[in-house]
Amino acid sequence: MTAAAPNQPKGLYAKLFEPKRLGIMAPGTSVLVYAGLLFWTIVVLFPLYWLLVTSFKLPIDVNEGPRYLPFVDYEPSLHAWDYLLVEVGGDTFRPYVNSVIIAAISTILAVLAGSMAAYALARITYKPRFASILSFVVGIIAVIVLTVVAGVPWWLSLIVGLAIFALLARTVARRFRARLGNGDILFWMISQRILPPVIVAVPVYVMFQRIGLLDTHIAMIITYATVNLPIVVWLMHDFFLSIPRDLDESAEMDGATKFQIFFDIVLPLAKPGIAATSLLVLVLAWNEYLLALFLSSVDAQTMPLLVAAQNATRGPQWWSMSVLILLMIIPVVLIALALQRFIAKGLLVGAVKG
Amino acid sequence: MQVTLDKLSKSFGPVQVLHDLSMVVEEGEFLVLLGPSGCGKTTALRMIAGLEEVTSGRVHIGDRDVTDILPKYRDAAMVFQSYALYPHKTVAENIGYPLKLRKVPPPERDKTVREVAAQVQLEDYLTRYPRELSGGQRQRVALARAIIRRPAVFLMDEPLSNLDAKLRVHMRAELKHMQNTLGTTTIYVTHDQVEAMTLAHRVAILNHGRLMQFDQPKTIYRDPANLFVASFIGSPPMNMVDGNLSNGEFTGPGFAHTLGKDLSVGPAVIGFRPEDCSVVAAGNGLIPAEIYSNELIGDHTLVTCELHDSSAAPHTVTVKMDKDFEAEMGAQIAIAIDPAHLYFFERESGNRVRV
Amino acid sequence: MSSDRVSAMDTSATAPQALGAGRGVSAWLDRHSSKVFILPAVIVILAFSIFPLIVSAYLSLTRFRLAPGGFELRWAGFRNFDRLLFGSEQYHFLGTFGAVGWFGWIVMLGGAALIIWWLVRYWISGRARVVGTIGRLITATVAFGIIVLATVTLSDGGAFGSLMVTLFYITVGCSIQFAIALGLALLCAKPIRGRSFFRVVFFMPLMVTPVGIAYMFRMLADMSKGPLEPIWSLFGFADVAWANDAWAARMVVVIGDSWQWIAFIFIVMLAALESQPRDQIEAAQLDGAGPWQVFRDVTWPTIVPVAATVMLIRVIEAFKIIDLPNVLTNGGPGIATESMTLHAFFAWRTQDLGGSAAIGYMLLFVAVVICVSFFNLVVQRQKARFT
Repeated sequence: MTAAAPNQPKGLYAKLFEPKRLGIMAPGTSVLVYAGLLFWTIVVLFPLYWLLVTSFKLPIDVNEGPRYLPFVDYEPSLHAWDYLLVEVGGDTFRPYVNSVIIAAISTILAVLAGSMAAYALARITYKPRFASILSFVVGIIAVIVLTVVAGVPWWLSLIVGLAIFALLARTVARRFRARLGNGDILFWMISQRILPPVIVAVPVYVMFQRIGLLDTHIAMIITYATVNLPIVVWLMHDFFLSIPRDLDESAEMDGATKFQIFFDIVLPLAKPGIAATSLLVLVLAWNEYLLALFLSSVDAQTMPLLVAAQNATRGPQWWSMSVLILLMIIPVVLIALALQRFIAKGLLVGAVKG
Repeated sequence: MQVTLDKLSKSFGPVQVLHDLSMVVEEGEFLVLLGPSGCGKTTALRMIAGLEEVTSGRVHIGDRDVTDILPKYRDAAMVFQSYALYPHKTVAENIGYPLKLRKVPPPERDKTVREVAAQVQLEDYLTRYPRELSGGQRQRVALARAIIRRPAVFLMDEPLSNLDAKLRVHMRAELKHMQNTLGTTTIYVTHDQVEAMTLAHRVAILNHGRLMQFDQPKTIYRDPANLFVASFIGSPPMNMVDGNLSNGEFTGPGFAHTLGKDLSVGPAVIGFRPEDCSVVAAGNGLIPAEIYSNELIGDHTLVTCELHDSSAAPHTVTVKMDKDFEAEMGAQIAIAIDPAHLYFFERESGNRVRV
Repeated sequence: MSSDRVSAMDTSATAPQALGAGRGVSAWLDRHSSKVFILPAVIVILAFSIFPLIVSAYLSLTRFRLAPGGFELRWAGFRNFDRLLFGSEQYHFLGTFGAVGWFGWIVMLGGAALIIWWLVRYWISGRARVVGTIGRLITATVAFGIIVLATVTLSDGGAFGSLMVTLFYITVGCSIQFAIALGLALLCAKPIRGRSFFRVVFFMPLMVTPVGIAYMFRMLADMSKGPLEPIWSLFGFADVAWANDAWAARMVVVIGDSWQWIAFIFIVMLAALESQPRDQIEAAQLDGAGPWQVFRDVTWPTIVPVAATVMLIRVIEAFKIIDLPNVLTNGGPGIATESMTLHAFFAWRTQDLGGSAAIGYMLLFVAVVICVSFFNLVVQRQKARFT
């Protein structure tokens, strides 16, 4: 057995990069670390700074090469802010309110339905029959075929579809014994996130057109809530697993219903997870572009579409764009700051075990 | 190797957790740092290891001042309470890791790992992962990882506290045997007085970051330096009765005891161990009392007696009696104490009053 | 008898009423809670995933045409797919095939050899199962297809189609993002001042809408009017138009995408670094490990499962990239920056619903194979080591 401790090295390298003790950095390390941090701070903040200064520029200030400092390089002007907030204020305000309504409500719905499902999958054992699910799919196919191909009104085909499902589930499905487990349901829900939105967009567009909900808040809210559901289920499932089951059982012994247990005991304990998940889902819904492009035109137009619309025939209106992007960033950043201490913890539990 | 602590202090912000700790641990000695949780013993150990910054004072290992050098140059091996095994490495890789860091060639490394594993009876588990081992086996892996380095000093932070009671007793014996065989200086932190008494050559008792007493176990038991040590060591603990010591006489609830020496300290505490006293018929003995309960433990009976105390809180005293002792609860009795085994303390400072 | 009654009354007077079996809505809900909890999510996801999948499948097999008073769908069989893979849209989807040189052949043969070796190793490992074999065969086929496609489109005279562009965004973008994000997380895990400041700043890009990022980078990347103009002039690049160069344009898209997503990976990796057991690191430090050895032997193995999961999330989202290429370059020059989603969107805009759905299905196929392979072969295995 030979393993003497190494001696403390001497020389320039050790002087620069070997700390005196744990918990502090050697001078060389320190310089490199802060240089790296500073560099990335600039990479992140400079584009945002550029947005800010551009929003105060006149077209001529933009077109004549780079101008960096307001008052020094150019005379700042409020023309873009004035134009967007006062002159055509209504046209800015409407998409903004749309975005707020759609993002907020869809987030609440997604987090509510998603965490209920995640909780159920973490606590209750499900054994759905494989055959029942097949019957359901057959029912849906029937609805689609009747509506799209045969031209039957959608409500009528829905009734027929339900009838087919009920009939199959009552008769054929009883003969097959194959069952699925919680893991299968969870995997299926999460895997929906892989579904490219471009596949979803066209059929959903056709569907809402048929029902007459195209370009409405409801259509956007339902779509966003559904698209983001898998993320909620994914992140929250493991958060609920990390909450001891004893708490549920103790509350149950005291006579609480399942819903009281969920809303009074489990949800408050899952606050960090809920906060982080909500923020993520909110950001995704707030910034979503592709589905909004398909599903909304005027009445339910959201902010990303308005930003994109600044690329007018006269060429991109950089100053207006900057104003709009800044208007979009501010509320989310404020919410993120408020929830900051939850974010890392909440995301981690899902990611570690997810 | 000798380990010397010189006026070691540690503050976390405004809170000072260790006050001027000075002690010399002799070469080959098994030293136990004992104290209740929060007394600063783990902090002291981590400062010796170099994991915690020293606020003031110096640490020497051998002749070297190691206060300002990184842990890896201190030649100290540590066994953590959680064992700190690497979950993604096998038992052999865990044990051999310190050698790998020292660039010992693989064949020699394997041989050494095998030898050390044999010492802790882990030869058959070398290819397993920590998660496939029981608590006791994980403990052995942590131990082997420390042994393989042949370090100047072993540091152990409550290494047995995560084991069940039976295994703890077993591992305690193994640990003591192994330390004796290797002859490596060992500093061991625990809050369990039985571990401290059984393992240590010398015990250092800490309370609120201050050294209370530093001596051999039997001295600490027989000759406690103050009220804290007296009440902390011993199971069941020493009986303490409040009273007054003046003009060479201690007066307690319903009794008085004359000392051989003329002393006056005012409020005082008289202490005596359960095994140094006995229950006798009322009227005899020193302290009149009433039987509160008695519990047969096996080879002895623990009798709890309530003193006739006119003042505030009722005092109880535990007496260790023979296993055949029998008495009715509520019976009036008296407690006789061997005067040679009476201890006196000042009530406020807790200092021992030597008679 | 009477004393019994008295005592019974006594207890009921002091203790709260025991909860009865209950009637009414809340009791009904409670009895069926297991269904009530999960059904909203199941129904909504079923309706919004199965339904579009089936409609898209149908659409992809038809040709859409505007007709008097609406539209008509004419059955086209697999012609839409045929067009993408072998026909007039092949250049757009798969890319233009160049003449493969000797180097290309080496790459393809080498790739094939690696894949076969990987399969053989699995079969002789003794763990081989039927399902595992089928899964690996699919993975191997797709992987080989991608290698061949990459080689032929990168050879002389070749050009990327939207499939390869998408894969380029994913492989290059995600690797860059992971490397930088992990680096930043390691920097932030050092004992630095102002950690919460850096954490908040580095997290901010995730909050910005991708459309906004696209316009922002169009401003920044403007060689003559953007803020970096002095730098370009200094190096004599002021007249270079990156938008006309396929690779430069693709890199600008990747940079914009990275600017946003590094934030997400960073925040998760930082949390992983901060939550790893301190004991293990201290034990290694005591045993003589330097910073690099601590990272390699202790930190990295602990954070790999988190890294694998967060990269899976990132790859899943990366398949959907559309906003950045659409705004930054409009897919150009030519089709050089067109992702599959953008390709499908352009097809939809020209009323080619069948083609659009067919591209969507191809995207779904590639995404499912890659994500499921990644999940089974990387994420699951990393997690298994810790449970």
